[in-house]
Amino acid sequence: MSESVTIFFETHDGARIEVAARPGSSVMEAAVIGNVGGIEAECGGSCICATCHVYCDHVTDGVLGEMSPGEDDMLDLAAAERRPTSRLSCQIKVSADLERAVFIIPEAQF
Amino acid sequence: MKKKAAVIVGASHAGVQAALSLRQSGWQDGIVLFSAEADYPYHRPPLSKAFLAGEKDEEQILLRAPALYAEQGIDLRLGEPVEAVDPAAGTVTSRSGTEPYSTLLLATGSRARRLNAAGSELEGIFTLRTLDDSRRLKEALAAAGHVVIVGGGFIGLEFASTSAKLGKQTTVLEALPTLLSRSLPPAMGDFLRAYHESKGVRFRFGAQVAGFEGEGGRLRGVRLADGETIAADIALVGIGGEADLELARSLGLALSAGGIEVDAYGRTSAPGIYAMGDVAGFHNAFATAPMRLESVQNAVDQAKVAAAHICGADAGLTAVPWFWTDQYDLKVQMAGIGRRDATEILRGDPASGAFTLLQLVDGRLVAAHSVNRAADHMISRRLIADGTLIDAAAAADIETPLAKATAGQAAAAPAGR
Repeated sequence: MSESVTIFFETHDGARIEVAARPGSSVMEAAVIGNVGGIEAECGGSCICATCHVYCDHVTDGVLGEMSPGEDDMLDLAAAERRPTSRLSCQIKVSADLERAVFIIPEAQF
Repeated sequence: MKKKAAVIVGASHAGVQAALSLRQSGWQDGIVLFSAEADYPYHRPPLSKAFLAGEKDEEQILLRAPALYAEQGIDLRLGEPVEAVDPAAGTVTSRSGTEPYSTLLLATGSRARRLNAAGSELEGIFTLRTLDDSRRLKEALAAAGHVVIVGGGFIGLEFASTSAKLGKQTTVLEALPTLLSRSLPPAMGDFLRAYHESKGVRFRFGAQVAGFEGEGGRLRGVRLADGETIAADIALVGIGGEADLELARSLGLALSAGGIEVDAYGRTSAPGIYAMGDVAGFHNAFATAPMRLESVQNAVDQAKVAAAHICGADAGLTAVPWFWTDQYDLKVQMAGIGRRDATEILRGDPASGAFTLLQLVDGRLVAAHSVNRAADHMISRRLIADGTLIDAAAAADIETPLAKATAGQAAAAPAGR
């Protein structure tokens, strides 16, 4: 079992929550298991509800993995504004490359 | 004397959402959340897919962090079914005693319908509803070579895709001549059939199970009414769900469409008692008749509305029903409630593996069934909610975004309301 990866979630009011994420799980799952509010994940990671939206402003280019056309479509319809750094956290796999990455939680998921 | 609480019976998608939404809506008193299951609440959809296939483990399918319940002042009672309700005293009884309630929320869900056939007691015959079911099925599937699925519904087809992906010889027995004919247009069932067949799944349509055959107490085959026996190391019976109505019946609650009758706020026929999720029978604004909806979306949205109403809000359920099924690399999404009298418009080519089948009534979208067309699905939810008039020719053109395939002014109300 590989070691956990430390990632951060930044809430809308600027607070940072540290989470020990398991490699191979998704960033969404890390948020849920880490008890981070504001990641709803109604569909449980099937990429069909757009309620695990995050902004990846502070994440190095190239470590997040490719966005699928389905994710791209869903992001257009997320509750909070879509930005160039928008992703669905259920589609981002945790790896050592994400060590100390910060994911910003939008104001709304519905 | 214990302080009265909101007591929620059932801790799956509906019950957990109700508890969290009560807190978000300002509920100050206690919340007691009873679960008959011993596991922390989890997502049910992966039980027939990612969990079963070993792509996600038990931690990854948790609905919420275990610590969240206590933090939110939710007294989660795992492995503690509610045995009785005394509405006169305002209490529920479980093995740890009686719990007084001021409001009772029934989110008891549904359970898998069982097949009454000879040999049903053999080892190797499964239904799939709970995490525990999925754990046992996963273990048995790993050791099986021949897999038979009784029922070509959503659970059956999802399990078939998992089974075929694992290289098992997989046979689906369906009593009707086509797949999913009760819930989807024939074109969708035909597409899914062809896709499954391309992955090696065999189908028997019009198949009636006469019984299960075994050896030493273990399943060996499924015998059909025409006398043929199909080899089976395991069999999954996926012939639908039925609402868990035991408490509702003991309370004498009015029933509707096989569930507990509720209004747009989730109120049952008894004061102070709400019901939500799979167990609720409701005349949804987007349906032509009362029905139960077995979906995550309905469970979550009914729970939110009921919790808000309990806390004094006055907004009824208005959400467009939607659900999905994942099979192989197909993401199949349904918005609205399909109708037999609808005009169908095909958007895209099924042979390409990505298309949407739109259903229109009086020129308005009432349902959209999409395969790998997430954008169509999301836009359809809005178009259905708004009762938008659709330009059929534009909608049939896959190059035109569905949002632009509208005609004239939005209608005042969706058809069927």
